[in-house]
Amino acid sequence: MSDSLLTGIDDAQVLDANIALPYTLTTGRAAGTFLAGLGDKRILASRCDTCARTMTPAQDYCNRCGEPSGEFLSMPETGTVTAITRTESVTLALIRIDGSDTDLMHRLSSGGPAADVGTRVRAVWADTPTQSMLDLDCFTPDDSGAEPGTPSPTGDIEPITEIPYAIDLAYRHSYGPHYGRLFDELATRRRILGSKCPQCRNVLVPPREFCDICFVRTAQHVDVADTGVLQAFSIIHMEFVGQTRKPPYVYAEIVLDGSATRLIHTVGGHDVDTLKERLSIGMPVRAVWKDAADTRGTLDDIDHFAPVFEQLP
Amino acid sequence: MGTNTLERVAVVASAQTTLRESWSSLQHVDLIGSAVSSALRGTGLRMQDVDVVIDCGSDVLDGRSISNCGFLGAMGAHHKEESRVEEDGLFGALYGTTKVASGSASVALIVAYSKPSESSVSAYYSTLTDPFYQRALGLDHVGAAGLMANQYLTTSDADEEALLRIAAEAWRKAGNNPWVETATVPTLADIESSPYVADPVRGLQLSRPVDGAVAVLLATEQVAHRLTERPVWITGMGTAMESHFLADRKPGELEACQAAAAMATRRAGISDVGSFGLAEVSGTSAAGEAMVVEALGLAHRGRAVDCYEDGASVSVNPSGGALPADPIMATGLVRLHEAAARLAGRLGDEAATTALVHGAGGLGMQNHCVFTLEV
Repeated sequence: MSDSLLTGIDDAQVLDANIALPYTLTTGRAAGTFLAGLGDKRILASRCDTCARTMTPAQDYCNRCGEPSGEFLSMPETGTVTAITRTESVTLALIRIDGSDTDLMHRLSSGGPAADVGTRVRAVWADTPTQSMLDLDCFTPDDSGAEPGTPSPTGDIEPITEIPYAIDLAYRHSYGPHYGRLFDELATRRRILGSKCPQCRNVLVPPREFCDICFVRTAQHVDVADTGVLQAFSIIHMEFVGQTRKPPYVYAEIVLDGSATRLIHTVGGHDVDTLKERLSIGMPVRAVWKDAADTRGTLDDIDHFAPVFEQLP
Repeated sequence: MGTNTLERVAVVASAQTTLRESWSSLQHVDLIGSAVSSALRGTGLRMQDVDVVIDCGSDVLDGRSISNCGFLGAMGAHHKEESRVEEDGLFGALYGTTKVASGSASVALIVAYSKPSESSVSAYYSTLTDPFYQRALGLDHVGAAGLMANQYLTTSDADEEALLRIAAEAWRKAGNNPWVETATVPTLADIESSPYVADPVRGLQLSRPVDGAVAVLLATEQVAHRLTERPVWITGMGTAMESHFLADRKPGELEACQAAAAMATRRAGISDVGSFGLAEVSGTSAAGEAMVVEALGLAHRGRAVDCYEDGASVSVNPSGGALPADPIMATGLVRLHEAAARLAGRLGDEAATTALVHGAGGLGMQNHCVFTLEV
């Protein structure tokens, strides 16, 4: 493959990043009632009257005919394993609860007697309910030889309606050859790098392999100035997740001299009221770098762009 | 396609990057740009000739929301009709084919990409599960593959030996595939001695996540004849989904895959699935691949392993398939690229003139897409 990018050396430069998002999950009627039931040490099923099937765990709609489910049933705590697998962290099984027409996925106890397809099991309850599927801690083999139980009607059960939840995902993003070079240049020489399209002659910041408009490979890296003009700006008053500055501040698009692209950064050096009054589109700006000791090799090494008021007529 | 009011659609060119465990020195855009420019190279088509770009990837895997927005330049999609399918790449090809077949585009570029090395594959699959009933249990792709393999062995006559053989064949073929990077090619003995990750699935029987990108160019009959002497016609397509809950699916079988295949072959007017010379299929484990082969009708229930014996009438996964190289979200489009390149004779002399192509997505292969091809 005649592709220099793909045959280059592996000098992995990575950015560690996280996406952490808070949620409030709405359970709906069936899951909310089922989870409330677990807190009460009961396994609840829903009944599809059309198909005459009992579904465990409870579902809002029948997964066969799509009709809304009817009444809830309180199921026995016993059943039979229909499928099983042991992973590094957990033993997962599908369990046909006695009297149910569908399988329930859950955990099997680790240690103790081995289970297999066909093994009779019974529920083990968690000591302290947490509004989770794991209020039913797991199932464990049951050699009591007890007769299978039967479903019974439930009384009124107040469903859980909302559950707090959070997701936290970790990433190691590759910089790649162009961003890697950009950040190296920022760290070592405080220069901003672009790449030049051989067709439209535009210089693109940050540098990249392909010109977005022409779809031809950019031919070379070139330095661009740390001065430019204001293309657009907005004063940010609200706070939001991921913000790196305290509002109010001026968020701006800046076209660096020698480039054709817009760089997102901030304008500062004066109080926000002054900036609001005096900034205008097309105004020259210049980078104000942080102290050399604080250099991290990112575009945040530029503290802000300062307007060049005195150049105005 | 079925009715004569629709345009015939052909695969006219395609390309992929090398698939490897980690492209740590490259960004997504570098991989995408490389695959797209390689697909265009030598066709006579320029990016201006591409009317529509459809791409497939995962925001969760990519670590950014609507990640395609950052990849537009590398896909040549500037100021073009562009659309993202958050599904396996073959679903993107289905979307693009409908655009061309309906006459709203003459040339469609389909792109799929993935860098699972940048994040946690287990976390990605966990985010696909419902948070109340499944995620809390610690369910991910590994546990799902284990439960499904257990069901497959319990409900059919297949045994663990058959699944070892299927995995060994996949790795052996991948060893001959210059686009799949492997440090070593594990033998059947290596696979048998690899520890269980979710019994009965062993580590080397689970699909290996890899980084990579693939690009496929689709065109109308008129354009196709101008570009190539051997257009690969898309004769049928089908898609179907399993129930979200693993426990609600039929044990040991992939009914949605069966339904997708029936839809595709009906459109193609093919009644004898045994007539296909070539099949490129996606399985997330050896048992998963066996279940796909059987759902496509290439083997009787429990007998998928027969397709991997010498003298089998159909060649299944000459590329090695998804077990040695699974660029999650791009896997099905790699299958289309491999099958089309083979039928077009781009990978050497090829006896087969028809092919079945299969892609899958979701936890435990919930979603299935099937193409039929012909030269």
